[in-house]
Amino acid sequence: MNAHVKLRSLNELALFGGSKRFAVPKSTSNLVAPEFDLFVDYSRPIFESAGQPPGIVTAQLEGRLAAFHEVAHCVAFCSGFWALATAIVALARPGRREVLVPSLTYRRMADVIAWTGLLPRFCEVDAETLAITAATAAPCINEDTALLLAVHPIVNCCDAQGLVELADEAGLPLLFDGVESVYERCMAENGLSRKVGAFGHAECFSLHASKLINGFEGGYVTTNDSEMARRLVLLRDGEIMLHGAIDARLADVHAAMALANLDELDAQVARNRARYERYRTALAGVAGLRLVTFDESQATSYKNVVVELTSEWPLSRVLTLEILNAENVLARAYYAPPLHSKPMAYPHIPAELPVTDRLAQRFVLLPCGDFVTLEDIDEVAELLAFIRVQADAITSCSRSPGAMR
Amino acid sequence: MRLHVGQYNLPSQARYEAAMRGIFERRYYTNQGPLARAFEERLQTILNVKHAIVVTNSTIALMMASEALAISGRVIVPAIRNATLAQALRWCRADSVFADVDVADGQLDVDALAASIPSIDRVTAIIGANMWGDACDAAALVALARARKLPIMFDSSHAFGCVTAGRRIGTLGDAEVLSFDAADIVNAAGGACVATDDEELAARLRNIRSSYGAGRSVAVVKTSNGRMSEAQAALGLLSLDDYETNRAHNRTLFDAYRRGLRAMPGIRIVEPRRVDTSNHQALVCAVADDISTLSRDALITRLGECQIEAVPVRPLDANERVGKHIGASWMRLPLGSHVSVCDVERVCAVIGEVVTRCCAAGDVA
Repeated sequence: MNAHVKLRSLNELALFGGSKRFAVPKSTSNLVAPEFDLFVDYSRPIFESAGQPPGIVTAQLEGRLAAFHEVAHCVAFCSGFWALATAIVALARPGRREVLVPSLTYRRMADVIAWTGLLPRFCEVDAETLAITAATAAPCINEDTALLLAVHPIVNCCDAQGLVELADEAGLPLLFDGVESVYERCMAENGLSRKVGAFGHAECFSLHASKLINGFEGGYVTTNDSEMARRLVLLRDGEIMLHGAIDARLADVHAAMALANLDELDAQVARNRARYERYRTALAGVAGLRLVTFDESQATSYKNVVVELTSEWPLSRVLTLEILNAENVLARAYYAPPLHSKPMAYPHIPAELPVTDRLAQRFVLLPCGDFVTLEDIDEVAELLAFIRVQADAITSCSRSPGAMR
Repeated sequence: MRLHVGQYNLPSQARYEAAMRGIFERRYYTNQGPLARAFEERLQTILNVKHAIVVTNSTIALMMASEALAISGRVIVPAIRNATLAQALRWCRADSVFADVDVADGQLDVDALAASIPSIDRVTAIIGANMWGDACDAAALVALARARKLPIMFDSSHAFGCVTAGRRIGTLGDAEVLSFDAADIVNAAGGACVATDDEELAARLRNIRSSYGAGRSVAVVKTSNGRMSEAQAALGLLSLDDYETNRAHNRTLFDAYRRGLRAMPGIRIVEPRRVDTSNHQALVCAVADDISTLSRDALITRLGECQIEAVPVRPLDANERVGKHIGASWMRLPLGSHVSVCDVERVCAVIGEVVTRCCAAGDVA
């Protein structure tokens, strides 16, 4: 590892034969660990209730998450994927077939919808916020729309209140995917902000290790609708033989992990903020990279670090990522390819989305989370600056395959 | 404390903490980590199967297996089966065609199916089930499916560790799903696995499960999130270590039930018949209808009043002849590491009181 050694020549890049800049991969996954003893404390009821059906810790987590999101009900699931699928089934208007969803989002979202038997219809996002808005969704609503599935982008939130109003006007159920917006607040109708989790008819979240709250695996749905919460519990527990019933309970060991991480969330957000601010400082001098900034007028997790490669950036995103990944900097393209342009072997509504196509070429997620130190961030920025300066040489090298090996 | 149906096996808290500390030290929490890979390897060795693909739970494992086998349309399933299988097939948009079960053991009646299958239209697959630590005549069912060139898989959720006709359950048909739910003998906090010797099917399953540990990239229609976490795998590995102890305890309790219920009129333990070795994870008993005032449901109510759970065997939406009869008269009784021989004696005593009262009423038909 060449840590803290200034890059001087192209040969020092791992892609061109140098050693990797980082011995341990620096990924975009959060992988936050709580204090071990705290996790053990939350695990204790598993043993105290031995001989009883599991669920005691999960019930505790559901209560805590409902309070955290300032919402009446939380229903925990084995994963965000199946939380989404079950919520879609529970919410979709019977007799209608389309789920309206932005294309620039979670790469498995169309698969989630396919499992429910409904058809994804993809809409644009706003070019500034990268989020679905009432304006991008409205043209896609028709008499076959069963559900509006609004997704918060990776940095900041969509205009939740605008989408609530659209759904109300159209008489449609509205489900939010808040997987990347667990900690955020949004403006509500009264001009006051409220926690993400209380908007629309229900909101879905993930407890996967890569997310803000690491529960090993897991997911949950929040809602203020008691009847919806009751229905979600019945479906999740597989207690009824209805369409959408599935055993998708969250394991108590996962709930214990999530509870411990929830206790330490504010401290984590402070660490995320320090990382984000370090990126902001370190990237300020690198022309061609625009950090997507957090809206700090509301509570935010500062978790994800997204940059735009502007027209001044001299390399393609593919090559940029290739260079970074070779160094164990596991930066990733932001939601590329977008969902509407991926091959789908199941029924869907084909779409042409030029704004999304353009946006899907430009953004990169940089390493974040507990494995990334402030010094790592300086090194990533230095690496990017070096790549920029050496762009012409890199381009000519990468065109001649022999030079790359 | 209420006595529950379900194994609910747990390691000691000290062993749990040691395993979890290892995960915290490695900082690897999910995505086909070292423990998930180790669990798969141990399962492959135990089951003697090429691929054991671990999954977060048995319903999702059944959905993934059905998806990987492209099961859709009309599918033959036993009239008595797990709710998880019925639900998985609904997610896969498969329509169930019910095959009746044997009146003696509740397992799919393969002979009856062989006779009726030529008259069943448009069948696209057969799904067998090995219920309650017993098995159906799996070899005959596989032969029947092969003769008709139909895909065949098994829901063997209850059957980990069982051996039938000299073969470990887990190697039958195109694929088998085994469950590691808290209620099953091996507890991986709700985990499961799909076992198969078929390389292509295994590749599809790994690609459906998630991009981590996907191995060779193969085309699939849609993915599912079916990952097993490191915490689940850690618990699964510990539970495999405890398997023989837990099986032996189940066997001791099973024998206690045999002693306690042997002479009881109207009550019959449904003995595993087609396994060389059972995990004895379930105790199923049939309540006969030859005592007119004795009913399964009344027994369940009375046991419940005594803080003893008894779970009715339900035919779900089956309306087959034998399935319906079993669905009205069979129940499962508590068995597992939280149950003692004394507990079993208490359960048998409560059942005995009810039976004696019914007989004393002079209602023997």
